[in-house]
Amino acid sequence: MRSVLFIIFLFYFSFSFSNEKTSPHLFKLKNGMDVIIIENKRAPVIAQMIWYNFGSGIEEKGKSGLAHFMEHLMFKGTRKFPDNYYSNYISKVGGSENAFTSYDYTAYYQVFPKSELKKMMKMEADRMTNLTLTKENVEIEKRVILEERFQRIESDPSSKLDESMRSILFPNHYYGRPIIGWRHEIEGLTYEDVLSFYKDNYKPNNAILVLSGDVDLEKAKKLSKKYYGKIRKGKKEKKLKVTDPDLDTNIFVKMKHSTVKQPIWKKFYRTISYKSDVQSSIALDMGLKIVASGTASLLYQNLVEEKKIFSVVGGYFQGLTKGEGNVYLYAISKEKKPSSEIDSIIMNEFREIINEKLTPKRFEIEKKKYFFDTIYKKDGVLNPAQIYGEALTVGLTLDDIKKWQERVDNISLNDVKKVLEELYDNGNYVIGELSN
Amino acid sequence: MRAIFFFFLTFIIFLNKNSFAIQFESLKTKNGIKFWLIEDKSLPLVSMSFSFKGGSILDPIGKDGVMNLMTSLLDEGTQNFTASEYRLFKRENGIKISFSSSKERVEGTFQVVKPRLQEGFYLLFESINKARFPINEIKKVKSQVKASIKIDNSNISTIASNKFNEFFFKDKLIGRNTKGTLKTLSTISRDDIESIYKSSFIKDRLVIGISGDIDPSLAKKYVDYVFGDLKSEKFKNPISKLKELSEGRKIIKMKTPQTTVVFGQKGLGRKDEDYFAARVINYVLGGGGFQSRLYKEIREANGLVYSIYSYLMPYEYAGVIVGGFQTRNENVGTTIEKVKSEWKKIKTNGITKTELQNAKTYYKGSFSRNFTSTMSIASLLMIVQYYDLGEDYFRKRDLIIDDLKLNEINNLAKKLFDSESLFFMIVGEPKI
Repeated sequence: MRSVLFIIFLFYFSFSFSNEKTSPHLFKLKNGMDVIIIENKRAPVIAQMIWYNFGSGIEEKGKSGLAHFMEHLMFKGTRKFPDNYYSNYISKVGGSENAFTSYDYTAYYQVFPKSELKKMMKMEADRMTNLTLTKENVEIEKRVILEERFQRIESDPSSKLDESMRSILFPNHYYGRPIIGWRHEIEGLTYEDVLSFYKDNYKPNNAILVLSGDVDLEKAKKLSKKYYGKIRKGKKEKKLKVTDPDLDTNIFVKMKHSTVKQPIWKKFYRTISYKSDVQSSIALDMGLKIVASGTASLLYQNLVEEKKIFSVVGGYFQGLTKGEGNVYLYAISKEKKPSSEIDSIIMNEFREIINEKLTPKRFEIEKKKYFFDTIYKKDGVLNPAQIYGEALTVGLTLDDIKKWQERVDNISLNDVKKVLEELYDNGNYVIGELSN
Repeated sequence: MRAIFFFFLTFIIFLNKNSFAIQFESLKTKNGIKFWLIEDKSLPLVSMSFSFKGGSILDPIGKDGVMNLMTSLLDEGTQNFTASEYRLFKRENGIKISFSSSKERVEGTFQVVKPRLQEGFYLLFESINKARFPINEIKKVKSQVKASIKIDNSNISTIASNKFNEFFFKDKLIGRNTKGTLKTLSTISRDDIESIYKSSFIKDRLVIGISGDIDPSLAKKYVDYVFGDLKSEKFKNPISKLKELSEGRKIIKMKTPQTTVVFGQKGLGRKDEDYFAARVINYVLGGGGFQSRLYKEIREANGLVYSIYSYLMPYEYAGVIVGGFQTRNENVGTTIEKVKSEWKKIKTNGITKTELQNAKTYYKGSFSRNFTSTMSIASLLMIVQYYDLGEDYFRKRDLIIDDLKLNEINNLAKKLFDSESLFFMIVGEPKI
């Protein structure tokens, strides 16, 4: 459904599109808008994605949820294409569409038959500046968003726990504030708030357009100039340079709720990000995949298969962020255990993995997997658009992506061990326990 | 002496006006297995989608969940691989294999990168023919399924849909949870798993779609290698018609600020000749994107819900129409009334000429989106065979859509949709 909140974004990230004939074209319009074209002629279908380089992060304090609210309102129509025209049109031609808001970005996309490219670009460009919102639109949509918050967060103890954990892990940064907004602050948002947010931020120089699929480069260039190129640029996206203090203390958050039938243990870390250090982040991603990703991981092997302490254990790295990245770990214990004990079981195992169990052979297997995954990631039209759009929006460059495989090749087992050591010693984490 | 005659047909699929043509081939192997292939060399990988008719509906009574358990164990140890060797081999060779079971079928997806074709099919062969079901792995997977059942039972939306199935279908075989229950899982033995394994993977129940960088003769070779030794046995789908379905409503109290409602009534099987017409009606009522009547009236005009939908759930020969929404406790009554009133409207007045026109262009235009990835192509080829839609389906499809007449559609709406027979499963603290 419209608007997906990427609170925990399980999108495994690894790419290398280097030296391929599918390698994309990038150009800039005069008003500062970036355009990326990824050609793929398998089917007469095109995906258009527009990535705005702001998300909940630019909301002023006290107005949480505004960016996501705005995303919903972007479907309410313009003078040229009023009310439901846009969504109706997309359905009519057999297309699909959606949008999502994150801390660092807001994105909209449509997938449609290639014959509709011109109209789709025209409509997407139009709603960047010509939305006609009424007070009634805003009030009704506010009710929808409150229902969304009830559905996603308030009715789900596990999501409520995540929300609390993040607010402690990021006491200062906007990553500690829920994307959808705190309930009482959503209730307080007004028509004027929404309107000024829209006018200040929805500008071509804050956006990246990605076209992927059966698209002709020259035609796409011409249409981009025609529809997006004529929109006047605005002021640059606000950059909030706020960082968080070191936590350096063991923080445990316990969420008890009568509906919980299965206790779950979680641990969230603040870590490096691809933007702060690409090379180490790739190493951390590889390391976490070996240690914690899925049933082939060493943690799973040792704690589920051999020692039989947990029925599930795993984790992953999410580093496509403008600020700090995250590592998430989770476990389900077979028998009831205090969360501190679960933590020490996992961390002891982690220590042993770094010291002995992470062998050169296991590392080489992961490198191969990494390489093969890059082939799979090209299979489709939306997937590549998503990868490029997200990477560029959080501040990576096309060059970073081009050099990806080269960087992967250069990573050694020691590099991986080093970043895992750092994670082991990292004191910026919060442990959560869901129980009844 | 090798005199092999391959049944060989080539079809061209035309999509849109864009002169988009894809060559699809209907092939038959030496061992008599039929499958469809679209060769596509744009990326060095191969995707395959296959399914065996007969899913969790075949779980013996009291052994609910055994089919699901069996499919979850297919990568947990085979003749030549321990569970962990299997997984590492998969990772090392860029192979993806997954199995799942739904009520009516066991489904598998398989993908492999071109340079590791042989390794990939070898691993798939092991799962299909040589699964070992070691006691230790059974214990482990059981504990995982149990944990996932407990998580489902902590989540209001899965509780609502499981309870809906339990109370809506008076036929207990269909209403069962495909994962089983904590109790039935405890009674399932290794023999039960072994026996459902042997009786499920039968040649005559198999359909296969393949797409990617593989030519017909190689594809035939590998299909035979993986599936060729399976035994043959005629199969009759046990879901031929539905026994009675519940009507009215049932409330289960749960402490939560928002109530979840799942509702349904009788629908049509996929092989019913009116199926496409029913699909069009439902598209207008509660399907398709942000344009349906339920979406517009209940979300957009009144802000009562975040999500609301209805869809056709077809089995081969019978089906149901299911919908759902979440709304805060005090709005449950109002929202249910609005759903019923939309249901009545569609029964009495049907859909409009414009709505029919838009639905037609939607179904025609959206079809090309199936061809964007090798996996979606393979799945499409599989499903068209699964429902016996015919080798000319891709050509016929646009004609079927063009042929839909407003009066026929609205006659069907009158016959099929009935707000009085709707059943509402309500979970939460509704104030009604």
